[in-house]
Amino acid sequence: MSSIAEIEQGIDGLLAAPPYGGNGDVQQRRATLLALFKQELAYACEQNPRFRNYVEHWPVDYREAEEIADLPYLPVGVFKSNPPLALVAASEVKRTLTSSATTGQIPSRIVLDAATSRRMTKGVLTIVRDFIGSARRPYLVVDTPENLAAQGQLGARGAAVQALGSFATEIVSCLRPGENGDSRLDVERLLECAAKWQNSEVLVYGFTFVVWTQLVQPLQQLGLTLNLPNARILHSGGWKRLLQQAVTRDVFASGVAAVFGCATERIVDYYGMVENVGVIYPDCEHGNKHVPAFAEVIVRDPLTLKPVKVGERGLIQVCSALPTSFPGFLLLTEDTAEVMSYDTCACGRQGTSFRFAGRVPKAEVRGCGNLEHTRLRQLQTSGVV
Amino acid sequence: MSERMKDLVVTQAHVHPQQLLVDHDAVRVVDSTQEIVSAAERLREALRNDEITPSAILEIFEKWAAALSDRELHDVPGATFLRLWLRRGTLEPVLLRELGANALRGGWWEDGRARLRAFPLGVVGHWPAANVEIQPILSMTCALLGGNACLVRVPSGLVDITRRVMTKLRVADPDGLLTRRIAMVSFDHTRTELHEAMAQAVDGAMIWGGAESVSQVRRLQFPHWARILVFGPRVSVAAMDSATWGNSANRATWCKRIARDVWQFDQQACSSPQTLFLERGEGCNANEFIQDLKKAFDEENAAHPRHEIEPSLASAIALARATWLLRGEGNEAEFPSAPDWTILLGSGTDVPNPTQGRTLTVLVVDDLQEMISKFDGTTQTLGLGIADPAKEEALARAAGRSGVDRIVKLGRMHVFSSPWDGTELIRPMVRLVRYVQSQD
Repeated sequence: MSSIAEIEQGIDGLLAAPPYGGNGDVQQRRATLLALFKQELAYACEQNPRFRNYVEHWPVDYREAEEIADLPYLPVGVFKSNPPLALVAASEVKRTLTSSATTGQIPSRIVLDAATSRRMTKGVLTIVRDFIGSARRPYLVVDTPENLAAQGQLGARGAAVQALGSFATEIVSCLRPGENGDSRLDVERLLECAAKWQNSEVLVYGFTFVVWTQLVQPLQQLGLTLNLPNARILHSGGWKRLLQQAVTRDVFASGVAAVFGCATERIVDYYGMVENVGVIYPDCEHGNKHVPAFAEVIVRDPLTLKPVKVGERGLIQVCSALPTSFPGFLLLTEDTAEVMSYDTCACGRQGTSFRFAGRVPKAEVRGCGNLEHTRLRQLQTSGVV
Repeated sequence: MSERMKDLVVTQAHVHPQQLLVDHDAVRVVDSTQEIVSAAERLREALRNDEITPSAILEIFEKWAAALSDRELHDVPGATFLRLWLRRGTLEPVLLRELGANALRGGWWEDGRARLRAFPLGVVGHWPAANVEIQPILSMTCALLGGNACLVRVPSGLVDITRRVMTKLRVADPDGLLTRRIAMVSFDHTRTELHEAMAQAVDGAMIWGGAESVSQVRRLQFPHWARILVFGPRVSVAAMDSATWGNSANRATWCKRIARDVWQFDQQACSSPQTLFLERGEGCNANEFIQDLKKAFDEENAAHPRHEIEPSLASAIALARATWLLRGEGNEAEFPSAPDWTILLGSGTDVPNPTQGRTLTVLVVDDLQEMISKFDGTTQTLGLGIADPAKEEALARAAGRSGVDRIVKLGRMHVFSSPWDGTELIRPMVRLVRYVQSQD
């Protein structure tokens, strides 16, 4: 049996260590994590009988597991359930995060209590600090002010924007709500800030698609450059819509660098998801994504669901020790990646490094047994019965 | 060996031995509407020039079946079944039942003062599903038996297999009596203009597949006279009474049958069981049954392991396991770490949304009749293991009323036969011509 106090102590220990290498060698780090995950699983089983039912049916007894990869993981799709899967009473929930589901899809809902919320912020800060330093600086948000203000129920964009707020001396949103529920670039305000911040370090964050369509393209059309050579642009979110418009990573980077007047090296793409609270995976200078000390990434071969070798691709499983308000320790995502190394990247960061390879493609074979609707449901949907 | 086949041996000698003699022209990858229009014109020309009796077709099919027994085709899924299907002993009764006593020689038969005779509809287009390897061939043979010519769209994943099987038809039909009535084409499923060209060129269509693909093909602009025959999308279920599944002496055999039905076509066919209903019975322990089923699944998996899986299917299987168990302590499951197979055990009479990929939901019910009463026409096949014949007949009657089109023994759920999906396979693609003599 594990007490929450013991678990919290373990998490705080990992959070206090340097995120990419100061916690002993890689094997020691994984052993520490494995022990902590076992404690968290035991705690989660005590808190939630439905989760316990899942864990008890797992082919490997987690108490006997020798690798993190053997522990019972949940597919992220289970967080689309209502009410959300939780390990705390509703009265303890301080915030609910929702994923950025595309039209027609059900978003994931993640419940955070005060402790998990605090750790989420600390986790992101620890990671980002390793990439951009700890100095506070002006923070330009490529989003609307509404996404900054949200509390209680918070979307993926809002959560990402807010997570970087601790680096800010001041926060400016450069988009304004448009008339049709869309948003538009506040050019005047942007230019005013750019003039003020010209020689400062500036932090910029936005969703990849929003940065391109609502900032870069309008500025390109106006022929404007911001002259912010010390800007550091972080962006996250899917590439699918941009790739459909033939905007590759190189096109994106050179376009953003041109409007900011900075080097392309100052543009950092990172991977993350609301379900994996407190963990983001920025690209290092070698183009690889890294896993901090309080987390792990396992890339699984779809055929066997076993971890792949270096150089192989598979389904991404994200593991994070940070959440205790919901069972989000070990999550199989619907994304794919290639493992670049299990030890050390040329950038010096230790542990698993990987490259994101895209969302799991929709199945192409739609056989004669593939029903999207039963007849009754079809008739009900169309209002016939 | 014909001169053409000798040429193939020479020109393709550099390829893998298994691919020797494969006629790559048997399925043509097309890129323009003109290629499809031209192929349809050639088929019409063949129809105008030749008349072929069903008996002659059966003779070629018989030779084709013999040619398919070559060892080089042993790895083609469904090849054994196709051999049996093409035998005169299988197809002659189907022809006689669907087209009448004189069907074999293609003659007229008496119908009161009139005479009737089956004539081909013309060019029949085939849109087979991508999940059943031999379906392009099966669909085509049905229309050929009606004397039609066939324009077949072969899904890209089935091109190689189809070419290998069709190469054997060319051996069996050296004069081209049948092969000149066949044009097989392949193109990406997103090429709407090529689908349109094909639809406009045919007099009838046999469409197989999932909801999305069937709906897509049905939206095409077929000629107003075209007859459309749709097979799928459907799901299938299995059911056993307590006397059958509770009998430990025979249980392992029944479990093997179920495993066989689940494994074929990776549980993606319309005839694949997605749910197994077990009638509750005194002294019957579902967990004991599940252990036998688990053993059968393990054995079937060892005999027929997957060599690849779509990542989306692996994700769906992981999600199905978790969703099922997270519903609560009444739900149980058995599965290995790999996505090889999954058994979900619970209770209830509703058919859950199928996951496919060898994921069988086993539900214990009080009364099998109650489960059948919930069918809404979506269920194609009901696989049964029922000890009491009277009880089974009552279930079959109820299933028929609830929209089920096939009621068969477990272990035989995929045996393709006529009727299928509640419809005949040959007759819908022929015209029955009525002839009343002018002289009394």
